[in-house]
Amino acid sequence: MLTACASTEPAQDTSDYDPLEPVNRVVHGVNGAVDFMVLYPAAMWYRDIAPEPVKTSVASFVRNINEPLNSFNALLQGDPDQAAASFQRFIMNSTIGLLGFNDVASDFGIPYRREDFGQTLAHYGIGGGPYIVLPLLGPSNLRDTAGIGVDYVANPLTWGAQNSDTAEALYLGSVGLTALHYRYATINQLNELQKSSIDYYAALRSLYRQQRNKMIRNGGPSPEFAVEDESASFDFDDAVEAASK
Amino acid sequence: MVNSKIAISTAAMIAIAAAWSGPASATGLSSNVVAEVAVETSAANVIQSMADQAMNELTDQSLADDVRRKKFVSLMDRYFAMDVVSRFVLGRYWRSISEAEIEEFSVLLQNYLALNYANQFKEFNGEQFVVGDETQKNKDTFVDSQFVRPDGPPVNIVWRMRMFDDSYKIIDVSIEGLSMGITQRDEFTSVIQQNNDDVGALTAALKAKTGL
Repeated sequence: MLTACASTEPAQDTSDYDPLEPVNRVVHGVNGAVDFMVLYPAAMWYRDIAPEPVKTSVASFVRNINEPLNSFNALLQGDPDQAAASFQRFIMNSTIGLLGFNDVASDFGIPYRREDFGQTLAHYGIGGGPYIVLPLLGPSNLRDTAGIGVDYVANPLTWGAQNSDTAEALYLGSVGLTALHYRYATINQLNELQKSSIDYYAALRSLYRQQRNKMIRNGGPSPEFAVEDESASFDFDDAVEAASK
Repeated sequence: MVNSKIAISTAAMIAIAAAWSGPASATGLSSNVVAEVAVETSAANVIQSMADQAMNELTDQSLADDVRRKKFVSLMDRYFAMDVVSRFVLGRYWRSISEAEIEEFSVLLQNYLALNYANQFKEFNGEQFVVGDETQKNKDTFVDSQFVRPDGPPVNIVWRMRMFDDSYKIIDVSIEGLSMGITQRDEFTSVIQQNNDDVGALTAALKAKTGL
């Protein structure tokens, strides 16, 4: 599946492919229960207690700790300018930004961009493959799961953590802050979605696919999708035609 | 060990956080576009008048919730191609129900959307809605807009419009690159699939949500 559809265009998945759905739904349910007991209360507490400047600093730190991987993946995607920008951000923010807690690079006009190995694979035309709900990590697909593995191995901080207690403390701290930050950043939207949706699992699955598509094309405009599978896809033209009958 | 270390940085959260809280990308919005467009019926003008009307009618804090929802539904009637949207979110299943059932579904859908979105107008305080450029792509016109908040980055909203009988109607809305129509279609068709391809299960769920 990963290699079947290689092409030169960046991959954009147009429909959900979920052959493991029964298993995924179980994992989704367990994740929700764990979240409810651990991460959700922590994020609610953080949302209500932490002052804005603290939240801004944590957001900067979390982005900064990921910059080496952003740079590495931009390079793999044949974008040395973006790789240099991410690297420059990392140096600036880690030093004069005081360990990344201040995003001075953005003030200097170098915006943040996240790149991971899943996006790198997609850049070379590899589609997402089957949807997978990972234990604790949540929505993913076969391609992006492989990406998480490669990024883990490629992350300089994880090598450091093998050899140095300081690096390990920094790494574990960053994992904790990352989880807290992203749970906080999504808390209102996910609460809304959970309340309003009829099938929360399916809504998340669709949003994950669309969000990855957007990251893969680096926020560029959405292309007019070519319909790959007539039976599975139903586009706006089909709807207009249906309504005119 | 690998799992426990990377454990909690949930991929979904990253995805969704980026969608809602990410910095606005440079979409080249210019607030004076509306003034420059001469034709009264341009797609951007339609969005502007809808926004004006919504701000006038829906943000009044003294409105009862059900009145606000009714006003929201009539705004959708006026500006959205509901016959197209209703069929789109049903996907290929629109074929399996009768014309009357589609009509019923359409009413339920509007009330469901009103339930989810109308109340957001109640909490408006200092936000601004800025209509930007429009782009033509194949049969559709895409109107860029920004929702500017006093506390936080602006939210990019793109309106997908199509011309029906000489007037532009909305057929989809994308918020930060996420299509509401596609999300709703994927969710609704999943509900139908989970219930042995029975559209009735979806209508029943919508009835339960909306109390209709």
